[in-house]
Amino acid sequence: MDAASRPAVVIDNGTGYTKIGFAGNVEPSFVIPSVVAVNESFLNQSEGRNMGNYIAQYNAGIMADLDFFIGEEAVSQSRASGIYNLSYPIQHSQVTNWDTMEKFWQQCIYNYLSCDPEDHYFLLTESPITSPEDRECMGEIMFETFNVPGLYIALQPVLALSAGCSTPKPQMTGVVVDIGDGATHVVPVVDGYIIGSSIKSFPISGSDITQFVLQLLRERGELIPPEDSFEIAGKVKEMYCYNSSSIVKEYNKYDKKPEKYIKQWTGVKPMTGVPFSFDIGYERFLGPEVFFHPEICVDDFRTPLPDVIDMCVQSAPIDTRRGLYKNVVLSGGSTMFKGFQKRLQTDLKKIVDDRIAASNARLGGNVKSHPVEVNVVSHPVQRFAVWFGGSVVASLPEFHESSHTKEDYDEYGASICRTSPIFKGMY
Amino acid sequence: MILLQSPSRFLLQILQDRLLSPDKGVDLDCHSVEFDDVRYHIQFSMRNPHVVVLSVSLPIPPPEAIFFDGLPFGAIEAIKAAYGAVAQILDPPKDGYNLTMKLNLSKLPSDEGSTRFLCKIPEQRQALLVKIASVREVVLGAPLRFVLKNLATKTVAPEMDQLIALVHRPKESFFLLPQQAEKVTVIYPMRFQDSTDIVLATSFLQELIESRRTAGLNNAPSCMWSPSPPLELKGAPAQALTANAGFVTFVIFPRHVEGKKLDRTVWSLLTFHAYVSYHVKCSEGFMHTRMRRRVESLIQALDRAKPESEKSKKSVSGKSFKRLSLNEAHSNSNS
Repeated sequence: MDAASRPAVVIDNGTGYTKIGFAGNVEPSFVIPSVVAVNESFLNQSEGRNMGNYIAQYNAGIMADLDFFIGEEAVSQSRASGIYNLSYPIQHSQVTNWDTMEKFWQQCIYNYLSCDPEDHYFLLTESPITSPEDRECMGEIMFETFNVPGLYIALQPVLALSAGCSTPKPQMTGVVVDIGDGATHVVPVVDGYIIGSSIKSFPISGSDITQFVLQLLRERGELIPPEDSFEIAGKVKEMYCYNSSSIVKEYNKYDKKPEKYIKQWTGVKPMTGVPFSFDIGYERFLGPEVFFHPEICVDDFRTPLPDVIDMCVQSAPIDTRRGLYKNVVLSGGSTMFKGFQKRLQTDLKKIVDDRIAASNARLGGNVKSHPVEVNVVSHPVQRFAVWFGGSVVASLPEFHESSHTKEDYDEYGASICRTSPIFKGMY
Repeated sequence: MILLQSPSRFLLQILQDRLLSPDKGVDLDCHSVEFDDVRYHIQFSMRNPHVVVLSVSLPIPPPEAIFFDGLPFGAIEAIKAAYGAVAQILDPPKDGYNLTMKLNLSKLPSDEGSTRFLCKIPEQRQALLVKIASVREVVLGAPLRFVLKNLATKTVAPEMDQLIALVHRPKESFFLLPQQAEKVTVIYPMRFQDSTDIVLATSFLQELIESRRTAGLNNAPSCMWSPSPPLELKGAPAQALTANAGFVTFVIFPRHVEGKKLDRTVWSLLTFHAYVSYHVKCSEGFMHTRMRRRVESLIQALDRAKPESEKSKKSVSGKSFKRLSLNEAHSNSNS
C-alpha cells in the first residue's frame, strides 16, 4: 500500500485556529488554536547569547526540547504553571517563527493525528500574500524533517471556492471574502487563478472585533476579570453577536424592549472562584457593524467592506466582472454572524445597482444594460471552508500528480515549492 | 511528549462528544488513518443516537506472522474481556476492514449516586471510553498480552515455547522468544527508508542502549543492539532478517508485567518502531532549530558590515512604511 492510496493529510494553518484532518472527510478531525507553549526557563539571557543557550539547554536535560504543548493544552498549561510561555507562530496569516511552526506541526502529526508522515501526501494552505521564500521554508520543513512523500501548497481562497458551490462541479470563478482571526482578504479568482493585482485587504479581522467588543463592555463599566477578558469577549462575540440591517432600528428595538434583547453573561472568576455576571447590550450588533462602518473602530480606514469588494471587482478585467459578482463566497469564522450574508448582499447590490442606474441615465434611457446579478453565497461549512476545499481537492485523482514529490525535492531542492500547479480536475 | 499515546485522540474526542451532547448532533461518517496503516471508520446516525459503529483495519501481516480469520490470535476474547456488553462484534466485518464493532453507549456503566455534570464525564465512563479508543492496543496486542500474562503468572503455555513472530508494521514483524517461563526476549529488526533516518536511528538506538547503564535504571529491561541478527533468531525466515538499522533486543522479566504495568509494556513493545521514528524526527527538528540560530548569528555578523539602514517614512493612510533592509529580508526567509 503506497502513499497515493491512503487519504492525504490536510492541514489548514490559520492565525487563530489550525484545522487538521484527512482528505475525504467532511469536517476536520481537530480544530486547535495555533499556539505553542514552550518551556524557556532554561534560557539564560545574561550570558553570551549563542554558546550559553546550547549549554543551558543541555544542562536542562536531554528531553528539554520535547517539553512543549500545543493548542488548548498549551493555553491551560501556561495558566497552570508559570514556566511555559505562549508563542503564536502565525501572525496575520503569515508564519513568523519557523522553529515554533515546526514544533507545532510535529505535535499535530504525532500527538493529534497519530499518523506516520512518510505514509501520506500532505496538503498545506497558505494565504495569498505569502512570499515564495515562505513556501520554500514550508517545503523544506516538510521534506527534510518529516520525509513526506508528496506536498501540495494550496492557496486558501481557491480552496474556499470549492466549498461554496451548490453544483456538483466546483465553480472556479468568484470573489472570496476570507475573514479570519488575523487577516481579512478579498480575493478575486477566475478559472482557478488568483488575479494578484486585485487582491484587497481589509484591516479588521476576528481578533479586532473581539477587542472592540471588549472595549465597549469596559467603557460601559461592566466588571470582567482582567485575566480572562479577551477569551470572555471572544465567547460573547461568538454566541451573541449578529448583524442588523440598520443600526438606528436596532437601537430603538433595544430601548423599547430591553428584556428581550439584552443578555446576561454569568461566569466564575478563575482566580478567586467568585461568580460574576454582566450585561451584554449594544455590543451585540455594534461588533459586527465594524465591517460596514470601520470608522467606529479604526481611525484611518473609512471604506466599508461592500465598497472594498466592489473596488476589487472593478479592478479586475472587465470580462470577468459579471462572473465575479455572481459568486461572492464567504469563508472564515468571522463571516458566521447571523445576518452578515444578507446585509452584505443588500449593500453590495445597492452599490452595483446605483452604478448601473447612473450609467443608464447618462446614456439617456435609450440603451438599457442587462442587470448584474449579485450573489453572496453562504454555506454550512463556512467556518472550515478552506479545510473542506482542501479535503475535496486532495481526493481528486490528479492531486497526486500535481504535488511536489520527495524525489523532485531531492533532485532540485526547495525551489520546486515556489509554485503549485492548478490542476484540471478542479474545474 | 516523550512516549506515543495509546488511546487514539480522534476516537476519544468523538466518543466524548457523543456522551456530552447525546441529543444534539449530526450524522457522522469519518475516516482516520494512523501510523502503521491502522485505519478507523466511525459512523454515527441520529436515528440511533446511542449506537456508534466503529470499524478497524489492521496492517497487512508479513508471511511469518499470520492472522487467524483476519484478526491476531486471541483478539476476539480480548475485546470481549475489555469492553463487556458495550461492544458487539459484527460478523462479517465491513468491506475492507478487519473488525467492525457496534458500540452501545447506553450500556456504559452509570455512576450511582452522582449527579451528572454537563461538562464532565464521570471517571468510570471516561476510563471505558479511553479503553475503547485504545482498541488498537487491545486487538493488535492480544497475542503479545497472552504471552506476557503467562510470564506474569510464571506458567508456560503449551506450543508457545519457540520463536513467535508478531505483526509490527505492514509486512514486517518482530519476534518473541519465551524462555522457561522466566523471561521473554523480544527482538526487533529495525528498517528505515530514508538514508538520514537510518543513520540517526542507529545512533539513537546505540544511545538508548548506553543510557540503560546509568544508575537508577537497573530495574528496566536489559537491552542490546547489534548490527547482525542475534543468535536467538536462528529459526526465523531469511527475509525477515534484513535490517538496515540493526537489531534491538529486550529481555522482559515478570516484574515488568505485573498488574498495571502490563498494559503499558504491551503498548510500548507494540509500537517500538513508531517511537524510534518519532524521536528521529524530533531530533531532526531540533537540529534545524540549531541550524537556524547559527544562520542568524552569521547574518548578524554580515549585517555589522552594512551601512546604516534607510529611515522609515509615513504613508498617507497613517501606516508607516519601512523599506526592508537586508537584515529583515533574510530573517523573514530564514527564521
